[in-house]
Amino acid sequence: MKTSIQEKLGQVIIIGLLALLCLSVLYPFLYMLAISLNEGSDAAKGGIYIWPRAFTLLNYEIVLGNEVIRHAYLITIARTVIGTVTGLLVTLIAAYGLSYRLLPLRKVFLGYILITMLFNGGLVPFYIQLYNVGLVNTFWVYIIPGMFSAWNMFVMLKFIQGIPDALIESAELDGASPVRILFQIIVPLSKPMLAALGLFTAVGHWNDWFAGAFFVSSQSLIPVQTFLQQLLSASDLSAVLGSNTNQEALARGSQMQNITLMSIKMAVVMVSAIPILCVYPFLQKYFVKGVLIGSVKG
Amino acid sequence: MGKLYKYRWQFLMIAPAIILLFMFSYIPMAGIMIAFRDFRIGSSIWSSPWIGFDNFEFLFEPQFWVVVTNTLYISVLKFIFGFPAPIVLALMINEVAHAGFKRFVQSVSYLPHFFSWIVVAYILQSFLTLDGGFVNDLISKAGGEPIFFLGSTEWFRPMIISSGLWKEIGWNSILYLAAITAIDPQLYEAAKVEGAGRWAQIRYITFPGILPTVSIVLILSIPSLITVGMDQIYPMMNSANMEVADVLDTYVLRSGLQQGYFGMATAVGLLSSIIALLLVLSTNQLSRKINGEGLW
Repeated sequence: MKTSIQEKLGQVIIIGLLALLCLSVLYPFLYMLAISLNEGSDAAKGGIYIWPRAFTLLNYEIVLGNEVIRHAYLITIARTVIGTVTGLLVTLIAAYGLSYRLLPLRKVFLGYILITMLFNGGLVPFYIQLYNVGLVNTFWVYIIPGMFSAWNMFVMLKFIQGIPDALIESAELDGASPVRILFQIIVPLSKPMLAALGLFTAVGHWNDWFAGAFFVSSQSLIPVQTFLQQLLSASDLSAVLGSNTNQEALARGSQMQNITLMSIKMAVVMVSAIPILCVYPFLQKYFVKGVLIGSVKG
Repeated sequence: MGKLYKYRWQFLMIAPAIILLFMFSYIPMAGIMIAFRDFRIGSSIWSSPWIGFDNFEFLFEPQFWVVVTNTLYISVLKFIFGFPAPIVLALMINEVAHAGFKRFVQSVSYLPHFFSWIVVAYILQSFLTLDGGFVNDLISKAGGEPIFFLGSTEWFRPMIISSGLWKEIGWNSILYLAAITAIDPQLYEAAKVEGAGRWAQIRYITFPGILPTVSIVLILSIPSLITVGMDQIYPMMNSANMEVADVLDTYVLRSGLQQGYFGMATAVGLLSSIIALLLVLSTNQLSRKINGEGLW
C-alpha cells in the first residue's frame, strides 16, 4: 500500500482544519476566563489573550456575592430537576399507554398528538392561555406547559414498540398490571433511551431564557440564563452591584474603580458555563446514542 | 364498555398528555380567532367584538415586508452555509487516521451545541467589543480602524451565520458520521484493490453511502426555511442593527407581548404558521415521492 504525497498533504490539511475548528470552540472559553480573572479597567486596554495580566478574583467575588444570581441558580437547578423528571414521566407513561396496538381510539390519540407538532396557535394565544390559567409569573410556568413533549413521545413509542412482545405477554400472564410492567420491564430496558432524552430535556431547561424573560416579571423567579440575557444589554453595573451581600468585595470594587461591565459579564458567563464544561465529558456517551435513537423515523 | 375497562390503566396514563395538549396547544389554536377580534388583555377571547380583517392591516405596511425580507435573507443564508458544512465536516473527520484525534475532534465540535444562544452572544460580545476586544485589538495593532461590529448593519448577518455554524456544525455531523460507519468496509477493500485513491473512495463510496441521509436531512430542513430562531436573533438585536435584525418572530414578540397589539401579532403568527404548515405538508408529499414513504 503506497500513500502518495498528495494524500499525505491531504491528511495534513484535514488535520490542520480540524485542529482550527477545535481551537475556535475551546479558545473563546479560555479567553473569557482570562478576561474574567483580570482587573476590568486593565482588560479594557486590550492585549489579554490567554493569561490574565493583572490577576484578581474580585469579579467572581462580586458575582457570587449577588443575591439575585445565587437565587437564579437555585431556580435553574430546581426547574432542571423537576422539569426533567416530570417531563420524562408524563411523556413516558403516554408513550407506554399508546404502545398497546389494540387500544381503542389509538389512532385518534396519535393524530391528536401529531397535529400539535404540525400547527400551533403562535406566541400570543399561548401567552394569553398561560395568563388565563394563572401560570404567568409563577415557577410552574417553567414546568407544566413543557411537561409533555410530542417529539419525545414518538421517539419513546418507537423504542417501546421495539421491545419483544413476548416479554410483556409473559408478564401479563403472571398477572402483572400495566403499571408494574412499565416500571419493571419497560423502564429497565429503556435506560439508554431515557438517559439520552433526559439529557436533552435537562439541557433545554438549563439553557432556556425565554420563559424567564417573557412569562415571568418577578426578579425572584428568573433563571440564570434570563439573568444573563438581562445583563447582556445592561448599560451599567446596577444589576450586579444592587442586592449584593458581599459588601467587603463591593467596597474594594468601588474603591479601586477597576471593575468594568465587561469583566463582570465575563465572570457571570463563566459561572454559568463552568458546570456544563465540567459534566460534558461524562455525558458524551449518552447523547450520541440519543441523536441516533431520535433520528429513527417515528 | 368491557374493552374500555380492560384498558383503563392505559387511558389513565395517556390522560395527562391529552389534557396538557388540550390546555397548551389546542386552546391556543382556538385563540387564533383573536386575529379577527378586537381583543384586550383582561377581556375574554370568546367575547371580544369581531372586526374582520382589520388586524391584517400590517400587510400594507412597508415595515412588515422589511421583516419578511430579513427573515428569508437570514434563513436562506443559514441554509446555504449550514446545510453542506456538517457533511464536509463528517467526511473530513472520517479521513482522520488517528483514532484518538478523531474522538477528540468529535467531542470538541459537539460542545457548543450545549451552550445557550445567550452564551454565544457573550462570546461574540467579548471578542468584538470596542473596549479591548480580541478582534478590534488585532485590527488596531495591524494599524486599522476598530469596527463597531455589534451595532453594525453590515456585520449582523455574517455574525449570525458564522455563530450559528460554529454552534451546530459538529452536532449536525453526528448523523452523517453514523451513516458513514454503516457503509460496508468491503467496498473500500475492493476499491483499494482496484487502485482507487482516498479521493476516489470518498467520491464513489462514502458520499453515495451517505446520500440517503443527506436527502432526509434536506427534506426535514425545508419547513424551517421561514423561521429564524428567535433564540439566536433576539440576544444580538439592538436599536442600531434593528433594520436588518428584525425577523418575523421578534416582530410578533415586540408587537404582541411588549406593545400589546395582541390581535395584530396573532395575525402575523397565523400567517407564518400557515406557511410553515404548507411547507411541512408539501415536504411530506415530496418525501413520499422520493423515499417511497412519508415523514409520518
